[in-house]
Amino acid sequence: MNVNEAINRLKAIQPTTNACVTIIEDDVKTHEGVLSDVPIALKDNVITKGILTTGGSKLLSNYIPPYNATIVDKLKQAGGVIVAKTSLDELGMGGTGTASFNGPVRNPFDLTRQAGGSSSGSAVVVAAGAVDIAIGSDTGDSVRKPASYVGVVGTKPTYGRISRYGIIPYASSLDHVGYFTRDVRLAALMCDVLSGQDKMDHTSLPYPSTTIAPSLQDNVKGKVYGVFKEVLEAIDHPQTLKHFDAVCRALESKGAIIKTISMNETLLRTCLPTYYIIANCEATANHSNLTGVNFGLTQEGADVETIMTNTRTHGFGPLIRKRFVIGSYGLKDENQDKLFRKAQKVRRLIVEEFNRMLNECDGLIAPATTSIAPLLEGANMNVLSNAHLIAENYMVLSNFSGAPSITVPIMPVDGLPHGINLTCKIEDESTMFQLALAIETCVKEGL
Amino acid sequence: MKRDVVIGIEIHCELKTNSKMFSASRNSINDTPNIHVNEIDLGHPGVLPTLNKRAVELTLRACMLTQCEIDSLIKFDRKNYYYSDLPKGFQITQQFHPIGKNGVIEIEVDQQKKQVRLDRIHMEEDTAKQYHLEDETYIDYNRAGVPLIEIVSKPDMSSAKEAKEYVSTLRNMLIFADVTDGKMEEGSLRCDINISLKEAGSVQFGTKVEIKNLNSLNNIEKAIEAEILRQNQLLDAGEKVLMQTRRYDETLKTTVAMRSKESAVDYRYFPEPNLRPIQLEQAWIDSIQASLPKTPQQWLEHLIELGATVIEANILINNKSLLDFFIEASKEVKDVRLALNWTITEVTSLVNIMQEKLFEMVSSHHFALFLNCISDKVISGKQAKDVLKWMSESGKDAQTLVNEHGLVMVSDDLALLNWIDEAIKENPQSILDFKQGKDRAVGF
Repeated sequence: MNVNEAINRLKAIQPTTNACVTIIEDDVKTHEGVLSDVPIALKDNVITKGILTTGGSKLLSNYIPPYNATIVDKLKQAGGVIVAKTSLDELGMGGTGTASFNGPVRNPFDLTRQAGGSSSGSAVVVAAGAVDIAIGSDTGDSVRKPASYVGVVGTKPTYGRISRYGIIPYASSLDHVGYFTRDVRLAALMCDVLSGQDKMDHTSLPYPSTTIAPSLQDNVKGKVYGVFKEVLEAIDHPQTLKHFDAVCRALESKGAIIKTISMNETLLRTCLPTYYIIANCEATANHSNLTGVNFGLTQEGADVETIMTNTRTHGFGPLIRKRFVIGSYGLKDENQDKLFRKAQKVRRLIVEEFNRMLNECDGLIAPATTSIAPLLEGANMNVLSNAHLIAENYMVLSNFSGAPSITVPIMPVDGLPHGINLTCKIEDESTMFQLALAIETCVKEGL
Repeated sequence: MKRDVVIGIEIHCELKTNSKMFSASRNSINDTPNIHVNEIDLGHPGVLPTLNKRAVELTLRACMLTQCEIDSLIKFDRKNYYYSDLPKGFQITQQFHPIGKNGVIEIEVDQQKKQVRLDRIHMEEDTAKQYHLEDETYIDYNRAGVPLIEIVSKPDMSSAKEAKEYVSTLRNMLIFADVTDGKMEEGSLRCDINISLKEAGSVQFGTKVEIKNLNSLNNIEKAIEAEILRQNQLLDAGEKVLMQTRRYDETLKTTVAMRSKESAVDYRYFPEPNLRPIQLEQAWIDSIQASLPKTPQQWLEHLIELGATVIEANILINNKSLLDFFIEASKEVKDVRLALNWTITEVTSLVNIMQEKLFEMVSSHHFALFLNCISDKVISGKQAKDVLKWMSESGKDAQTLVNEHGLVMVSDDLALLNWIDEAIKENPQSILDFKQGKDRAVGF
């Protein structure tokens, strides 16, 4: 795939999928490296100097940043060429791809369906064959879930492995840079390219780049795959369960050990509410800079306060405004103890439990989603069902703990893409890519 | 009715670092507006803070000088509020875990020593500076993100004099430790005074009024005196003191209300997620302790050892630039006592005229060479006054100016006697006058 082919393909799929905010035709290779002349798409919350970066929000629909995210410099140094800024749910908040200021993103395999979110456009451009690599971000499951819905590999390395400097945040303690690739080998290579301590990100891990790709193998003899019991129990789609089981059997035939691992169900069921409190509280503070004073789509007003109020009222979608209200409420002095601080305590308990589970295996696996991508119109979910509370949202566990996690596509369900999620111990991307490669190999070999 | 005055003081003090608290922009607030600004200072989307190590070091100095307990696990929090001088929409500060706690400093008022306790010292970042013109507001982001410490006293002061002395003593300590330049008139050290009156001897505190934006030591004293008077008059008249923020109006010579403080603002503080807690190494803390610059008290002792009187030493201590100038020069001079005399008298009077400009024109090295010219009798004391003045005007060294002006002081006795004979021969009338008792002739 060369740059021109990528641009042509991006233009061709745009009318149907609406995957891109900006298609970039004039970026050129500035360095030679492992990604020389490789076209790359960036989620539009990745800051690009001199190139429109909207974060999927109307408020930033005119924002041309004065600097580059650290990962943009890394991609350029590796020889990459940026060809697109892709659509996302506004400010990364949402899991449907329908909450962007520039309209919904559609699943290339079935245009009546979602591509998932919030890294919707990046998932789609890889799935549609326009690029081999697209950057996303993952706060709850925003890379790993869309990857499952469109049938590509979605990776989120350990918290701090990839610099967040220049990524428009959602919730700082949960935000990870992630990315989509066609296969696991390229995913490992991208970890090597993007990782490494960044002096601009105080939360980045104190290590240089990883070097996993050159020696990556799919030998999993004796490796223990832990099957996430409660997630499997919360899924009632027979084909999802059947395919998952088939992958487990194939891994066993390669010498891997399959072991059931259970999580305290009370803790598991508190994941989603805990996530929403922490994420919304952090988000409301993180986005207090979007006032129209220095940048953004400024609205008129008699004084500064009115300008700020008008800019925010006009610039944010209803979903975002709702989340900010919840976040502010959770941080209020009289509520912090029973909401934000309590959520942080629960998070610690959840992380302890999750780490215990990861210590009992080499990698924890489960279907990434209960079934295929939901319809764009009329999708109806029972928000208190186990399917929703557990099976559709358990992937947030690795955002809580920072553990590396990857979604690998397996066999289609009802004729549409579907994937398995694998999570490994913190900082152990090396094992993660090895176990993921074995899954990919099993699927390629027809099990 | 007799009432007790209760005063507590919050000091915001900008640190003398090269760069800002959480970004690499230069810390230089008096330059052309908006030139020391990057995406972090402007609160652009996607930016993250990094911590300035030097700022932590200077804060530790402040903690050590005030005998605070040091919390070596550094944590920061967000203080959330919307204002045009706060581009991120939150300020990074240390609400829950201040780096220093429970300090104390000693002050002296009317020969009485008194301990003032400190509640806390914490690190934070300054806001941008706003200039309000008639219809417009201009913002200078050079100040946005400048490292700041807040020093909060306990309500231990009970008079305007004590409050002034507290600020003055603390300010001097911090200036001497190179923590801050302490320029109140430029806002690099700012005071908020909390003041209330209560019935003499009562344990029940009165309503607190905050006076903000005091820009000199004298105004602290004047503002507090005016506020004590105002509160006493209100209470005497049976009225209530309102919880307010006030400022001191120099023309009206009283405090005027800025805003009501009845409704406390909820800043929704929470831990800053983008800065991991940092454990300071004890060895690093110890090395800072070991290399603390001399305090004003230590300088006083040192100057007295060098031969200064207490009065002279105090003059030097009250002007750090003058002290530095003297100390540097004293290392090169042949006669330290002579250096003291010239510093206290002539240099001080030139400083009164020229301020800091003097130290730009006359280096301490040039001053030392100049003093040695006097010691070596190259110039007389009388000539020296002129020479020093020329130095301050031209920036040239003493020897150059002596040559340019053709000054010579002759120390060869024979040559001197010959000149005297010549002078007597050429002025017979003066000799006659002198012999007849007319003193005027001596000065011809």
